[in-house]
Formats: sequence, C-alpha cells, structure tokens
Amino acid sequence: MKRIVSLLVAAVIVIAGYSYAAEIVFPTPCYQADELTKLRAWEQNWVGKKITSENVDSVKEFLHEAVYRAMKNPETVGSPGPLWFEIVAYRPYEPSPGLIAATKKYAPEAKLDASENLVGYGEVAGFPFPQPKTGIEMAWNFDSYTRGDSNYLFHGGTVVDCRTRLEREAGHLRWELSWIGRYDVEPIPKIPDSDNPRGIARSFFQRHTAPPDFMDTTMLELRYKDAREEDLWVYTAMFRRIRRYATSQRTDTIDGTDMIYDDQEGWYTHPTRNTYKAIGRADLLVARHQKPKIVQRATGQGFWNGLQRERVNHWVVEVVNKDPNYIYSKQIWYLDPEVWQMNFKVVYNRQGELWKLFEMCKDEYPSAGGGKTVMPTTEHTIDFIRHHGSPGDREIKEIGQPISLKQFTTRALQEKSY
Amino acid sequence: MDRKIFFATCIGLIGLAVLLMPRFCFGSLMLLDDKLRVKGTLYESSTYLTAVKKEDRQYRNTRFGLMKTKGTLELLYTAIQSQQTNLNLFGFFQWWHEAVPDFDGEYRRSISSRARHRYQGPYERADDWINELYADFYHGPWNIRLGKQLVFWSEVEMVRTVDRVNPLDLRYTTPGIDPWDEMKLGLWMLRGFYTSNLPGNLVFEAIWIPGDFQRVRTPLDGTSLGSNPGPQGPVNLRPRAYGQNAAIDDMFRRDQPAWNLGNSTYALRIRGTSDIPLLRTSYLVDWTISWYHGMNTTPVARRETLGYPSTLNLNPETLNGYLNYLAVSRVFGAQNIPHAPHKRFWRYKYFDAIGLSGQTFIPQLKGVLRGEFAYEIGLDENKCFPNHIDPSPSYAKVITGTTDRNQANVGITFDRPVRWRWLEEQYWLGSSGVIETTLGWYGQWRQGNVNRIRRTFAYNDRTQSNFTGTIRFNLRHNEIFPVFRFLYNPRNWGYLVFATKYQPGKHMRYELGWLYFFAKNPWDSSEAYAENKDFIYLRVGYEF
Repeated sequence: MKRIVSLLVAAVIVIAGYSYAAEIVFPTPCYQADELTKLRAWEQNWVGKKITSENVDSVKEFLHEAVYRAMKNPETVGSPGPLWFEIVAYRPYEPSPGLIAATKKYAPEAKLDASENLVGYGEVAGFPFPQPKTGIEMAWNFDSYTRGDSNYLFHGGTVVDCRTRLEREAGHLRWELSWIGRYDVEPIPKIPDSDNPRGIARSFFQRHTAPPDFMDTTMLELRYKDAREEDLWVYTAMFRRIRRYATSQRTDTIDGTDMIYDDQEGWYTHPTRNTYKAIGRADLLVARHQKPKIVQRATGQGFWNGLQRERVNHWVVEVVNKDPNYIYSKQIWYLDPEVWQMNFKVVYNRQGELWKLFEMCKDEYPSAGGGKTVMPTTEHTIDFIRHHGSPGDREIKEIGQPISLKQFTTRALQEKSY
Repeated sequence: MDRKIFFATCIGLIGLAVLLMPRFCFGSLMLLDDKLRVKGTLYESSTYLTAVKKEDRQYRNTRFGLMKTKGTLELLYTAIQSQQTNLNLFGFFQWWHEAVPDFDGEYRRSISSRARHRYQGPYERADDWINELYADFYHGPWNIRLGKQLVFWSEVEMVRTVDRVNPLDLRYTTPGIDPWDEMKLGLWMLRGFYTSNLPGNLVFEAIWIPGDFQRVRTPLDGTSLGSNPGPQGPVNLRPRAYGQNAAIDDMFRRDQPAWNLGNSTYALRIRGTSDIPLLRTSYLVDWTISWYHGMNTTPVARRETLGYPSTLNLNPETLNGYLNYLAVSRVFGAQNIPHAPHKRFWRYKYFDAIGLSGQTFIPQLKGVLRGEFAYEIGLDENKCFPNHIDPSPSYAKVITGTTDRNQANVGITFDRPVRWRWLEEQYWLGSSGVIETTLGWYGQWRQGNVNRIRRTFAYNDRTQSNFTGTIRFNLRHNEIFPVFRFLYNPRNWGYLVFATKYQPGKHMRYELGWLYFFAKNPWDSSEAYAENKDFIYLRVGYEF
C-alpha cells in the first residue's frame, strides 16, 4: 500500500512538474525578486552619475571589455577628450499585447527539426522559446522580433577615420516589413500566402539620402522563410540601373562603414547559417532607453558620448558561421532577455583578435496594437584594429504602419528616384 | 585674355576647394520647407596625352587633350504629395567649358572655328545646358513623365545593345571611363508606365518622342579624341582645320531632321520578374522585352545627291564629288577650303529593334548573370565596291549607294564578388577584401551580304566579338577605389583603363587614371583607330 501511495505521489509530482514546465512565462524581466532588490540598492548609489574615462574603473565589472577598452583609451576612437556616459535606472520593457499573446499561443508547441529549423516557421509568431535552453533557441527568439511588424525610419551615419578624424556621411530612409511572424498588426500571424507566393519572411526597402553621389540609390532585399539565399536589388542612381546583387556580397562592408550586410540589426539573415552556443549570463551596462538626440561626439570621434546606460542581465551566445571562410571567426551576442534583441555584439577576426564592437542602443516606441516596440535609436561600431568607427542614429518615423506590398517590388526601386 | 583669367580663376577656386573642403562642408540643400532638393557638382577634368606621335605634334603645342570645367545642378521640387497622387518636377542642368583650345594655339587652329565654339561648351543645341527637365506624375498604378529625359534600358556595361533611346556624346570621353549618363543626350519625350497586378509584377512602359532628334556626337576632327584634319596639305599650311571628317560632321549636323511630329520615335517595354525553374533550381529572373522604332543616329548617303562613285568625280554638288574636291583642295593647298555646300547629302533613316534582357543570381556560381539581345531590322548602310574593285581602306572607299541589313547583337556579363583573404587581412589597407569582378562577351552577327557594306567597324566581317572585364576593390573604408577595365576584340584591338577614385570626405572626389589603346588595324573601329590617343586623366570634383 505504501508503495502504491509513494508511486501516486511521485506521479503527481512528475505531472505537476511537467505542467509547470509547459507553462509559458512571458514577459521575462531581466531581474526579479532578490536580484531586483539588489539592483535597486546598487542603483541608489549610481543612478545619475556621469562615468568618464577617468572614473570608469569604478564600474568596470559592469562593462564589456571592449567598451571598457574604448572608454579607457578615448584617443583610439578619435575622441579629443575623455569619453563619458550616464547611469540610469533599469526599466523593464513593456512588450505589446500582441507579442505576449502570440508567445503564449505558439511557444508551447515550438520545436526545432533536425536541421535546427523552427518547425512551422512562417505559421507562428512571438518568441518560440521564452525560456531557452540552447543557443539556437535564443537565436530563433532573436529572429522572431518583428520591430512592430513594419516600420519606417531615417538612419543617419558617419564613417569616421579615428586616426585622421576625417568623416564621410551616409544616410537612408528605410521601410521594413515582416511578412510572417506578425503579432501587432493584421494580418496576423502572416500575410496571406496568396499575396506571398515566394514565401518572403522579411523585406526592406532603403533609399539613400547621402553622400551626395549616393543620393536616390535604392536597395530592396527579400529574405525568405526557407534558408535559400536572399535576393538583393540595387537601383544605382549614378548609373540609373536596377542591378541584381550577389548575396555573397553580404560580407562586404556597407558603404565603407564597419558593418557588413549581415551585421544589420545585429544579424540580418537566416539563423541557421550559424552554430550557436549559450555561454551564460552577463550583467552589463547598456543603453536601451536611449534618446537619440542627446548623444554627442566631436568631429572625428567614432564613439558616442552621453549614452544612458542601465544594467541588463544578458544572455550571452557564442556564434560561429558554418562557412569556414566567413569573415568573422566568431561573434559574441549579448541578447536582452526581455525582447531578445542584441544590445551589443563583439566579433573576432580569423586570427582570434577582438576586431569590432557593435553597440545598438535602443528605445521604446508605441506599437500600433498597443504596448511598446523596441527600436534601435543610436549605434556605434568600432573597429579596434583599424581605428575606425561608424556612429549613427535613427529617427523612427512610423511603427506598424500599413505598407503596400508593391513597395517591395523592383518597379518601386526606380519610382521617385532621380 | 578674359578667358585666360576665367580659366585661372576656375583653377584657383578648384585648388582652394581641394585644400579646404574635405573637412568643412555640409550636405545637400533642402529648401522651401523641404520641398526643394538642390544637388550639384563642380568638376575639373583633364587629360594628358601620352602617345602623341611625331606627325600629331604639328596639331598641338601641348599634350593636354582636355581641360574641361563642368558644373551641374539638380533640382527636385515636390509639387504634390498625397497618398494616391504625386507630382515631382525634376531638372538637371549643366554647363561646361573645354579650355585646351584657349591656350594651345596649334590645337585651336586644328579645329574649325564654328565647330570649336560648339565643342567648347553646351552650344551644339540651344537646350544643351538642360540635360533633363521633366514633370513626374504618379497616380495609382500610372506614372507619366513629360519633358526632356534620359532613358536607361541596359543591363550590361561598356557596350550598348538594347539601350537605344538616347544618343551619345562621345566628343570628350569614351565608354569605360565615364558612365553612360555622362554621355547620354537628353530628348524631349512623353514616357508612361503602368504597373499591373499581373503575375510577375509586369510594368508596361511606352515612350513617344515627338520629333526631337539628336545625332550621335562623335569625336570632332582636330580634337584630342578625334582624327587629325586630313588629308594634309602643304607643310607651311599645317595645321589646317576642316578636314574630311570635319566636313562630314558638318553635313551630319546640318542634315539632321527638323523637329516635327513626322519624325517621331516610339518605344515600348515590358518589365517583369519571374521564377524560372531549371534543373531543380528556381531562378528569379528580372526580364524585359522591348521594341524601338526610331531613326539611326548616324545617317546614310542620299542616293539623289550621291554622284558618280569615282575619285575622278570633283563635282561639289554631289557627295562623292564634294569629298573628293575637298581632299584635292587640301592636298594642293587651295587658298579657300571648300565648305560643305548647302545641299542635303545625308539622310537619317528609321529602323526597328526588338530587344530582350534579363538578369538573375546564380546560387551555384555565387554571381549574377546578365544578358541582352537586340535584333535590329532594316538598319540602313552605305554601300561601296568590293575589295577586288576598290582596294582602298573601308573609310576611304567611295560610296556607291545604300541598302539595309538586319543585325543581331548580344551582350552577356557575369558579375562575381571574390573575397581575397590576404587583402582583407592587411588591416592597414582598410579593405573589405571583396573584389568585384565582371567578365563580358558582346557579339554581333550581320545578316546578308557584307562584302559591299562600307563600314569603318569590322569591314567585311559577318560576326564580331568583344570581351570585356572589370576588376574593382576598395581601400581605406571605401575612400579609395582602384579599378581596372579592359575591352579586347579578337581582331587585336582594344583598350585598358587603370584608375583610382579617391573620396576622402563628404564632398571632394578625385580620380586619376590611365587609358591605353592598342590596335592592329587602326581603322577597324572608333576605339581601334585611337592607338595614338592614350592619356592620363585626372578629375577633381566637389559634390553636394
């Protein structure tokens, strides 16, 4: 009898355990309970403080080595004086109701196939693995954030030679549309297959406004649900032609900046092109409620001053491309646990040296379906080997706005461009 | 004197710009509440001839082939902007001055005075200073463009097949150095697009050019890219302007058809994007089908005024006679060179061209394949005696009449970016390590009897091939672009270009290059007869 009772109790515990495991917890704040209490206590001493190159050692434990290196050696990023940032209080993000609902609806069934593809990709939305266990699950979470399903922004940037302090400007208007995985704006969770016969997952349409000889040059990229290569067209205003581009040019730098095409938004292609290894958590100061207009820099400086950094307990993932000849030997992604976006990443060259730091500062904007959408507002990329930088900022013009699907056709490339 | 002061001032200003601008300039202008966008350039382009032959030296005091100051201004005004309807007004204005004839006396004397005036600035036509000026109207699926425009229908580089609508101005440059839009001549036209909902996102385009016509502008007799004025006369009369080529150019210009509706040009094009499955791979192909009906930009002789086809014909009232009379007058040092009589010796004739083009990414090859095909129907040609009757070179043969032929042209290029790991890892060079390479083949197939066709391009040849290549990479984070280009024709002529572009800051642009022509038969084609035209070129510009 005792044995039966014991078995029954064990069964109840196991079933309860399974039920608990299957429950989807989302949103997932960076800090909870004791951790949050400790954080608030720390913030009482630090919030509002200006951290400069001189006193940066006091918060060294909360800075990534690459950020610390830049802060300690401002001349290497072209700064004539000390670099500085401000510490602000941690604020959890407010995910949109659509994102919460989609995550709770689809995550319980989420799984990967033998090729590490997300089963049902294109038919689901939200974060598939809100409590991830592996690097690839985190990568799929990263991929699933649609930045409001559609958005329209102006992205300005400067190419800075930190040694000569010579600058070149670049700028573009960009429209981005998620065709699948939609959770904020109808149609949800995808644009009907009848309107998407090619199986497009994401698309962007980008019109350049600077430099002068690049003005009106327009790009269109279609990324697909499956792992087939992206299609990229460029209307080159100088030659007035629509040119197909080889996607092998994705590892070329974007107009002399320190970013390659794959680096857009952290990683801008199919998740299965890499292998991923989760390597733990990192509590670091990053700018994720960053007002774009308040940052400053001197001419020739590749690194922003005035960032508003708050502590975030990141997930850290080591990423290695499956192509053995890939330009980076490895990347380390620092993913925000609340929206699974990359607050920054560092990349290493083939010799294993730290090569570049990408800091992608963010802020929240109202979503079309309520709640907030996290968008990049300010960024800088530092090439530590070449002493080069690419600071940029964005003006978010619209989120979740209706965009005609015709905008993502080659005809649109040539329209209204001169 | 005034011109010299003007020229010196221009050089001084450019020099000042070179010194000061890289750091202290601002972006393009937006005016009138951001409704008016102003963009412009100021460029100084110079060439220095490196292969001047002994006989060429009598036609110039210096080796400068070009010293052209060119300014452009682009205005874009947003007149109406709403969800359904948009109206933009676009203007692209230009002005230039070519200064070599101002300071090189012998060069100046090698060009006839009227032609020189037209050559030195935008004076060939009254509206040359307007490169483009049109209203661009959008409503729903419709887009109408009305005004002076440039049309680009080409997929490939360096050689034109489908891209027929605008004629070229080749007086100052050659394909391979300048892009086509620097060489194209705008035409006043009505152009309409309709974007359909049909599969393949078909876009229908129609063009009507109501009688505006421009001939191709070939290098002018006596200028650095043109031929020396010939035939030569007595030594004490050299240089002497108005050789046979200058006379022909004069006549071509005068015989251009007037602007009237009867001289209209029409063109249609359908553009689409389709998935084409082939061997278990689906290729997304951007394709076009086009039809062009217009006048050839090079005329043929009028039969009525051709005259007897013999070198003994010296009757200046006929074309053959006048050209002979001009040659004899020059050779014997006549006091007055006979200018072309006011007779219509040449006629610009209509022909049709059916075109196809396509481009697609080939995943297996990691590159982009582009192709064009044009079938020209009824292309008029001058005729001559076959070789066994008149053994003189093709350009010197007397014209015996005219005929028409069909001709097929094809162009295929393959672009593939190649990552050169060594270059990428030379971090001090700041290169992305990606080398953009393009290889191309262009073929021409002439139908019918070619033995009696008088051509300066591949005389007596039924087929022609050209091979082209481009290699381009970047240094110092796209500040520096070294470029190498070549064109090779198996008849053993062609050219090479080595150039480097430098764009250090927001506005200043520099380009230094060397163009080398090689030729076996100097009269094989326009590029082939340029074997003594090699030059180094330098361009310094400011863009905003």
